[in-house]
This record gives sequence, structure tokens and C-alpha cells, in this order.
Amino acid sequence: MNHYETLFIIKPTLTEEEIKSQVERVKSIIANQNGELLATQDMGMRKLAYEIDKQNRGYYTVVYYTAPADAISELERQLRYNEEILRFMTVKYSNKKEIAQYKKMVDAVSKSSSSEDTTKKASEATEASESAE
Amino acid sequence: MAERRKFKKRYCRYCEQKVEFIDYKDLGMLKYSLSERYKIMPRRLTGNCKKHQEMVTGAIKKARQTALIPYIVDRKRVVENPFELIK
Ligand SMILES: [Zn+2]
Repeated sequence: MNHYETLFIIKPTLTEEEIKSQVERVKSIIANQNGELLATQDMGMRKLAYEIDKQNRGYYTVVYYTAPADAISELERQLRYNEEILRFMTVKYSNKKEIAQYKKMVDAVSKSSSSEDTTKKASEATEASESAE
Repeated sequence: MAERRKFKKRYCRYCEQKVEFIDYKDLGMLKYSLSERYKIMPRRLTGNCKKHQEMVTGAIKKARQTALIPYIVDRKRVVENPFELIK
């Protein structure tokens, strides 16, 4: 089992419900590949630094999980064929030092997500980006 | 002016803060090593040590790939306030 994090950006045109189901879909792929989800970081709707597929905004989610190495190719294959995902990136944390830092990140994420209402945070982020335009 | 002052002190800001790891999503950590046009600043200007320069370079490249920061800022793609994204 290796330690991974995958960031993915969902199209901003989807409804809140559809975004949630996309996130669940990614989580279920990880589970089906014998991965264990450790934490989910909801970064919310953000302005993209450059246009991707004619979109200027995107909904950012990061999942932290342990999984066998062959799980990644299947996850990435499914993310690649999903047209609602604008971009994704997986980072592997391999040596001892990196894993120690990884655990710190996971702890920080799970602390902040349990204390805050994530759906509330998401809608606030949407409002903030809309008022910025 | 503030920009110029930044270059004069030549010490590694990451060593100073005892940074062991730079997360690419932590844009506040990346901004010390980015120019106004989002270029990676050379070590001779920032004073970063080799270890942290390599760490921050990797993080900046990941942040670019995930559209957290731009690859380039040119005349066509001017950001109204270049540092709005990493403030
Ligand atoms: Zn240093």
C-alpha cells in the first residue's frame, strides 16, 4: 500500500448535487480498488489561474488515501474519460520523511473538515467568486 | 519598492521558518519564490538554499499543473492584480 493524494477539478457548470455525486464517484473508485480513504479536503469553487476547456472556474477536491500501486492507473483512466473532470493530479508520498509530512496534512485536513460544515463553506466560496467578477 | 527590498536580505526564508516540506496547495509558501509574472525566481535573488529551492520548484510546477497559479502572465493574459491568487 502506498500513500497518495489526488486533486481533481470538477466543471463549475454542474449543480451542487451533481458535484457531490462526482466526488462520491471518485471515492467509490478508490474503495473498489482496495484503497482506503483517509481524508477529503473540499477546496470549493475557485477561479482557475488559466482557462481549461473554456472554463474559468472549477470545483476543487483533494482526496488522501492509501492504495495498491495498480489502483492509480484505473482511477486515472476513469478520471480521464470523465468529461465532468477538468483536471486531476495524483501525488505519491514514498519515503519516510514524505509520509510523515503526509500524515500531518491528513490530520490537519480531517480536523478542519470536522469542525466546519463543508457544504456551507462551499456555498460561501461560490458567493465569493461570483462577487469578485 | 517593497519588491526590491525583498531581494536585499539574502537568507533562506524556508530555513528561517524551519520548513520541512512545501505543499503545492499552500500558495502562501510559494509566493516568496515567485516573481510578479509568476516566474520561479532564481536563488541568487531570493537567497533560498538549494534544498528549499528544489522543494519549492517542484511545488510550483504542481501548482501550475492544477491551475492554482498561472504558467505565464503576458499582455493577453494579464491578471488584474498579479498576486490576487496567492494573497
Ligand atoms: Zn532553506
